Amino acid sequence: MKWMIFQSELWFLIMGGVFLVLAMLPRHHPRRDHLTAVVMALVGMAICLASIHFSGDLFFQTYRIDRYSQVFKVILAMGLFLVVMLCDDLSGVEERLHPEFYALLSLCTLAMMLLVSCVHLLTIYVSLELSSYCLYILVAMRRERRVGSKSGLKYFLIGAAASAVMLFGLALLYGATGATYVVDLIKALPPKMAHPMVAVGLMMTLGGFFFKLAVFPFHFWAPEAYAGAPNQVAAYIASASKVGAIAILLRVVAMGGSGAGYLVHLLILMAVASMTVGNLSAIVQKDFKRLLAFSSVAQAGYILVGIAAMNAAGFTSAVFYAVALLLMKLTCFMVVVLVAGEGRNPSVAQLAGLHRRAPLLALALMIALFGLAGIPPTIGFTGKLLLFRAAMQQGYFYLVLIAMVNVVISLYYYLLVIKAAYLLEPSEPQAALRLSLHHQALAGFLILAMLLIGFYPRYLMDVARSAALLLL
Amino acid sequence: MPLHSANFPFLSAILIACLGGLLVVLVLPARRQKEIKWVSAISSAITLVLSLTLFLAYDRHLGGLQFAERIAWIPALGISYFNAVDGFSVPMLLLTGIVFFTGVLTAWEMTHRVKEFFALLILLVLGVFGLFMSLDLFFIFVWYDVSLFPMYLLIAVWGSTRKEYGAMKLTLYLLAGSALILPGILYLVVVSGLETFDMTALMTAGIFSPAQQKFAFLLFYIGFGILAGVWPLHTWSPVGHVAAPTAVSMLHAGVLMKIGAFGVLRLGIFLCPLGWQHWAPLMALLATVGIVYGVFVGLSQTDLKYVIGYSSVSHMGIVGLGLATVSVEGLNGAVFQMFAHGVMTALFFSSVGYIYDRTHTKQITDLGGLSRVMPRASGYLILAALAGVGVPCLASFWAELMVFIASFKVYPIYGGLAICALVVSALFILRVVQRTCYGPLDDRWRHLADMTPTRSLPRLILAAVIVLFGFFPSLMYNLVQTASIPLIGGLP
Repeated sequence: MKWMIFQSELWFLIMGGVFLVLAMLPRHHPRRDHLTAVVMALVGMAICLASIHFSGDLFFQTYRIDRYSQVFKVILAMGLFLVVMLCDDLSGVEERLHPEFYALLSLCTLAMMLLVSCVHLLTIYVSLELSSYCLYILVAMRRERRVGSKSGLKYFLIGAAASAVMLFGLALLYGATGATYVVDLIKALPPKMAHPMVAVGLMMTLGGFFFKLAVFPFHFWAPEAYAGAPNQVAAYIASASKVGAIAILLRVVAMGGSGAGYLVHLLILMAVASMTVGNLSAIVQKDFKRLLAFSSVAQAGYILVGIAAMNAAGFTSAVFYAVALLLMKLTCFMVVVLVAGEGRNPSVAQLAGLHRRAPLLALALMIALFGLAGIPPTIGFTGKLLLFRAAMQQGYFYLVLIAMVNVVISLYYYLLVIKAAYLLEPSEPQAALRLSLHHQALAGFLILAMLLIGFYPRYLMDVARSAALLLL
Repeated sequence: MPLHSANFPFLSAILIACLGGLLVVLVLPARRQKEIKWVSAISSAITLVLSLTLFLAYDRHLGGLQFAERIAWIPALGISYFNAVDGFSVPMLLLTGIVFFTGVLTAWEMTHRVKEFFALLILLVLGVFGLFMSLDLFFIFVWYDVSLFPMYLLIAVWGSTRKEYGAMKLTLYLLAGSALILPGILYLVVVSGLETFDMTALMTAGIFSPAQQKFAFLLFYIGFGILAGVWPLHTWSPVGHVAAPTAVSMLHAGVLMKIGAFGVLRLGIFLCPLGWQHWAPLMALLATVGIVYGVFVGLSQTDLKYVIGYSSVSHMGIVGLGLATVSVEGLNGAVFQMFAHGVMTALFFSSVGYIYDRTHTKQITDLGGLSRVMPRASGYLILAALAGVGVPCLASFWAELMVFIASFKVYPIYGGLAICALVVSALFILRVVQRTCYGPLDDRWRHLADMTPTRSLPRLILAAVIVLFGFFPSLMYNLVQTASIPLIGGLP
């Protein structure tokens, strides 16, 4: 029964298969597709939760199931479920493509789940590519062909270049150490960290993950892809896809051990550049999705602050922040999806009067934005506190100071969004947004989760710590 | 520092009263404006009664930290929900209770988006109460931000003159302060090596080296100093005062600016006493510049609220000067001044708010002779002005007197300058009073009605407090020195 530990991945494989079959049926039933997706994603989340205590190895030890991977699988499954919940008005994608849409979403989630469990360079690469390819197609699925294809193509070209660089980096690492298993690399790498081949190889490898996480200077695809993709896909890229990237980045960085001064310097440099560039670029954005894209770049910078600490506290905080990011970004995109209608891109100005049209949604948006800006008592604040505390433990006082200055900069544009939602009146009177019951429940759940975990983070911290400790 | 608990969790009860009021307001439908106001009034009345009880029940012979409550919150990080009060925080809690209650009553005529207004107001006060009673650095920071971010919407939605600009400027300035405070907190927590956010543990002498204390004190001084209106970081404050609606101005000038001074006192001075002694000359210099600057800029203002805004900068400078003397009298005077200034400014803004609601102008040149049509409103305005000038037998007189006595011992030049500035401020405040309340009455204002006795209730309470502490300053003095004497005595 060794295969039982593989059940969560199997389930998402089945889910992908089911939608492939549905795609072949002649009649289109968007409602049926959506319901199937919601139910299957929910079951998937339950299966992931049930298998959180599993551990073991598969496929000649290239695949490890442990607390770390299982925690991330739960987060990923939750991300998929929340995104699917937003898909009931999937007007950004043509109806006949809906089954493919869900199939690609579930396969992408599957790929990320594989990614977090992979402990072999090749399988890491293959799963990363699988998830990327799903996303390339998803981005291009937009109903307005021109927009979708343009950003999809751009995303694909930059992504292909990044993965080529990464593959080269992996080859260099193999050449320097003769190892492809992460377990062997953990032993072989630290003494050789100063070797130029290892240094170049490691940096190129990291480049691939930085691309996924949209860290400066690998972030150029992000605003294009966010703006060009269907809103739900953008939500997925901003949330679940980032979680997968954080997970694998942590595993690879941890592989280098503490003996890598330049790795830390690189991470710090990227963190500072990413935060600053992301926040400054976000200030001038008028399109809400582009603004969120640049805010993602900045958020990736905050996470690197914690990862650069290279200690248990830092890795714990990164896992914690992954959850925080998922919840906050999904809340923002929930507003995007519900306000935009017809699958169009909302501008910040279009949020005007939201507090009257949908008070619950406006409240959720405000809490998510305050969370992204790091204002207590939200999950985003607690996450940042943990990240910064970890960096401070390593004595990076100025890094923390720069990060806090960035927090203040970011507050400016978040406040502009809040101002639009709470202060501005729409130029022409707009009807109230009728939130369906499940959207109300979803908004309520997100609000409660962001506030409660922010105020009482103890349980999530314990989970994150138990996962992160396995990396060291 | 000795720690005493009580049978009843008074401190949490205050927070629960706010939180309960907030939840009820959130649940009530927006059109039930009357109920929302009543719920807010009741919740604020409960906090007032509780804080008054604390003020009376605090054992002045015992001293130290009383009414302590502690619950482990995140043991892995050494964070606990830890509240206790000493001679410094009890007056602040009482001040918050008074200003909250009178602020809610002042806002009684509010009709625009009432539910959100009172919800945000209560949230703000919740943060303020939490900050004054908390002794855990994590919670102090959380409460600090909870008390600040409602300000943005409170000013931007319900404010007046250049409200969006004022709101944005205020929020960014104050959160820029938190960009220094959080690194400061984390720095101290990490270098202490104790893995705890508990202030009483971190206050143990000898944990931090002199260099660390000097460094951290500067972070706290600048970070909280922004909120306390320390010159030259004060520019958000007059703009914010002017833009804010009346009740928010009251809380903002009356209570929020005190958070800044209290933060310097609680975090800076308690945790880094050596840093305090090191930087005291700088604090004294900036405070004196603030006092003089506030008065002279105030002289040239034509907007009533700007006048009060700049006089607040000047009065908060007196608090800073008191803290900078590193002496028992200075600390007593500073804390007393925080209290007195809070009540006085609240009364000032409350009276001006009443006049503004009737005349729709805050320009001094437009007003005049108001004492003939609204004698009560003018009476309160004049009383607040006299208190601001420092007339004997009103609360702020004693506070300023103590600060000046203390500062003459340490910084005679600064003390002299401050007194001269106070004389000039008397000139300009009295001129304002003369222009608005006396002189020829404009025909436009002839039909205006005076405050009804119910309307004047919040102002009456504030005026009574000013007079009470003016006649019996020892009520406050005895309390504050239970904290200041041990603090100065414990200095290395």
